[in-house]
Amino acid sequence: MNASNTPFDYFPLILMFIVAAGFVVFTMVVTHWLGPKRKTKIKLDTFECGIESKGNARVPFSIKYFLVAILFVLFDVEVIFMYPWAVNFKELGALGIIEMFSFIALLLVGFYYIIAKKALTWED
Amino acid sequence: MKGLFIVSGLGILAMLAEIFKFKKLVYPLVLIGLIAAYAVNFTEWNFDWSQGNPYPLFANMIRFDNPALAFSGVILAVAFFWFIFANDYFKNETNITDHFALVLFTLTGALMLTAYQNMVTLFLGIEIMSIPLYVLAASRKNDMSSNEAGFKYLIMGSFATGFLLFGIALVYGATGTFDISLISAKIAAAHGALPIFCYAGILLMLVAMCFKVSAAPFHFWAPDVYQGSPTVITAFMSTIVKTAAFAAFMRLFLFGFGPAHDKWATGLSVIIALSLVISNITAAAQTSVKRMLAYSSISHAAFMLMAILANNGDMSVPPILYYTFAYSIGSITAFAILYAISKSEGHDGFDAFNGLGKRNPLIAACMVIAMLSLAGIPITAGFFAKYYIFTTLMATTYKWLLILAVLTSAVGVYYYFKVIIAMYFKSSAKSEAVAFDSTTTALVVITSLLTLAIGFVPNFIIDMLR
Amino acid sequence: MLLNIPLTQYLFYFLSFVALLCGLMVVFSKNPVHSVLYLVLTFFAIAGHYILLNAQFLAIVHIVVYAGAIMVLFLFVIMLLNLNHDSEPHKNMLLKGAAVLAGGLLLMVLTGSLKGAETLAMHQPLNTQVGLIKNLGTVLFKDFLFPFEISSILLLGAMVGAVMIGKKEIK
Repeated sequence: MNASNTPFDYFPLILMFIVAAGFVVFTMVVTHWLGPKRKTKIKLDTFECGIESKGNARVPFSIKYFLVAILFVLFDVEVIFMYPWAVNFKELGALGIIEMFSFIALLLVGFYYIIAKKALTWED
Repeated sequence: MKGLFIVSGLGILAMLAEIFKFKKLVYPLVLIGLIAAYAVNFTEWNFDWSQGNPYPLFANMIRFDNPALAFSGVILAVAFFWFIFANDYFKNETNITDHFALVLFTLTGALMLTAYQNMVTLFLGIEIMSIPLYVLAASRKNDMSSNEAGFKYLIMGSFATGFLLFGIALVYGATGTFDISLISAKIAAAHGALPIFCYAGILLMLVAMCFKVSAAPFHFWAPDVYQGSPTVITAFMSTIVKTAAFAAFMRLFLFGFGPAHDKWATGLSVIIALSLVISNITAAAQTSVKRMLAYSSISHAAFMLMAILANNGDMSVPPILYYTFAYSIGSITAFAILYAISKSEGHDGFDAFNGLGKRNPLIAACMVIAMLSLAGIPITAGFFAKYYIFTTLMATTYKWLLILAVLTSAVGVYYYFKVIIAMYFKSSAKSEAVAFDSTTTALVVITSLLTLAIGFVPNFIIDMLR
Repeated sequence: MLLNIPLTQYLFYFLSFVALLCGLMVVFSKNPVHSVLYLVLTFFAIAGHYILLNAQFLAIVHIVVYAGAIMVLFLFVIMLLNLNHDSEPHKNMLLKGAAVLAGGLLLMVLTGSLKGAETLAMHQPLNTQVGLIKNLGTVLFKDFLFPFEISSILLLGAMVGAVMIGKKEIK
C-alpha cells in the first residue's frame, strides 16, 4: 500500500460508481420511455408466484430470523477487526498473534455456546 | 486489574457451565471467585504509580489506583452479598447459568468504570455494564411489566449513550485526546480559552451521566424499570450498578473536568435540587415499597452528586465511597426482606409489612435498621454518610442546597417510617411468621450488623483514602 | 470564483446536504420502512465523508456493517413490531411543544458553541494519513489494546443476551 494516500487516488473508483449508477438510471428511464404501456388491473397487481395475492406483506414474523441476523452482526464485527491486524501482521509480530488469538478464542467460546445452545437450529 | 480478569473469566466459565454439565458447581465457584477477586484487588493497594505502569500493554487505558480499588472493593463486597441474596431467585430460573454469565459481565463493566483512564474505556465500560442489564431487566419473558422495563431501559439507555458519545466527540475535538488526565491538564492550561464546544461537550456528558445515575430530570425511566424488573435485578441495579455509575461520574468530573468546574457546577446544582424535591415528594405518595425504594434511590443519587459538586479533588472521594457502601448495604437488606415478603404476601405494598414486628421480630428489627440507615438517622451508617457529604459541601458556595437537603430528608423520614409503622403498629390478618430461609435470615442479620458497625467506626472507611 | 474552490469542498457540501436531507427524512417520513431506507442513504453520505477524510477502511466498514447488517436488523425489528396501520398514539400539543423547545435549545447551544472552532483547526497540524488502515491497525493493537480485548466481553454479553431473549426456554 502506498504510504501517502489521498482521497484523489480513488477518483477513478468514484468515476466508475457514477458510470455504473448512471447506467442503471439511464436504462430504467429509457425503458419506461420507449416501451409500450398497457395498464390493466391484473398487470398492476402484486406478483406472488402466480397465485392471487392476499392481504398485506407486513405480517409479523418469527424472532428466529432476528436471532440469526443479530448473531451474524456480532461475528461480522469480529471479522472486521482482523483487517487492520492482517495489514500490520509483520510489524506486530508474535505479540500481535497472541493479541488476536486471545480475542478470537474468546469469541470462539461464544460460537461454541451458540452451537451448543442450538440457537442456530430451526425448531418450531 | 487482576480482579477484573477474574470476574470476566468467571463470566465465561458460567457461560459454559450448562454445556459442560457443571451447572451445580457454578454458584460456589462464583462465590469463591468473588472472594478471590476481592483479595487480589487489595494486593494492588498503595501501588506507586510513579514507578511506571505494571501493565505496560494497557498503559493509560485503565488504572487501578487507590480510589478505583476502593470502589472495586465496595462493588465486589456488595456483589458477594447480592449473590447470597439472589440464591433463592436463581434456583427457580430455567437458564440459571445464562443469568450468572450476564450478571458477571455486568460486574466486569462495573469494575472497568471504577478504573478507566480513557474515554474509550469509559464508553466500553458503560456498554458492557448496560447491555446485559437490558436483558436481565426483561428476563421474565411472560411478565409484561418486565418486558416493558427492559424495553424502556434499552431505549432510554441508548439515547443517553448517544449524548455521551456526542459529548466525547466534542471534548476530543477541542482537546485532541481521550485521556482524562491529559484533558484535565489541557483544560487547566487553557484558562477558559478552549473553544466553547468543549464545554458543550462536557455538559452533554453531564446529561448522559446524570441519566445513568438516574438524577432528576433524567429519572423518568427509573421507577418503571425498577418496578418492572424482577426484584433481585432491581436490587442489583440500585446498588452495584449505581455504585459503578457514581465511581465513573466522579472520576470523569473530578479528575477529568475538575478545572472546568465553573462551567458545569451551576447545571449540576440545579439537577441536585430538582432530584431532591421531585424524588422525595413523589416517594412519599407511593403505595408500593419497591417503587418507593426506586424514588428514594433518586434522592440518594442527589446526595452523592453533592460531593461531586463540591469538587474537592481527592477529598471528595471518601464521602462518596462511604455513601455508596452505606447505601448499598442498606438497600440489599431492604430488598432481601422485600423479596421474601412480596413472595409470601403476593404484593409489595406497604400493608404487606403489617404486623411483621410480631410475626418475625428479628427480620423486622433488621428492616428497621435498614430504613433508619436509608433515612439517615444517627448512629446508623446512613447518618454519617450524609454528615460527610454535608461537611464537604459546607466549604463551598452551595450552602442553599444543604438547607434543601435537610428539608427534603425530613420528608424522607416520613416514607421510611411508613414501613416501620406498618410493621409495629398495624395488625395483619395473618399471625403466623413469614417463611424466611436460613440464608436470607443470616444475610439480613449480617448486613444490618454491618450497617451498625460502619456507623460506629465511620473513620475506618474514610481514612482509607487519606 | 466558483472554480477556485477545490473539488473536495464541492463534494463535502454535496455529501453534507444529502446526509442532512436524508436525516430529516428519516424523522419526517410516515412509513417506518422508508425511514430505514433514508437512514441507509444517510450512512452512505457519511461513508463519503470518511473517504474525504482519507479514512477508506472506516468508510467500507461503515457501509458493510451499518448500511448493510445493522439496517437489515432495523428492518427486522420493524417487521417484528407489525406496524401495519397508524397505531401510533397521538402526542398532545404540550408534549410536542416541549419537545420542539428542548430540541431547539440544544440546536442553539450547539450552533453557538461552534464559535471559535475554526481557530482550533489552525492550531493543530493535520495528519492526513491517520485514517489509513495500516496506521489504524498500529494504534488499535498498541495503544488501544485493552479496549480491543475487552470488547470481546461486550460481544459475548450481547450473544448470551440475544440467545436468552430470542430462544425458547429449554426445560
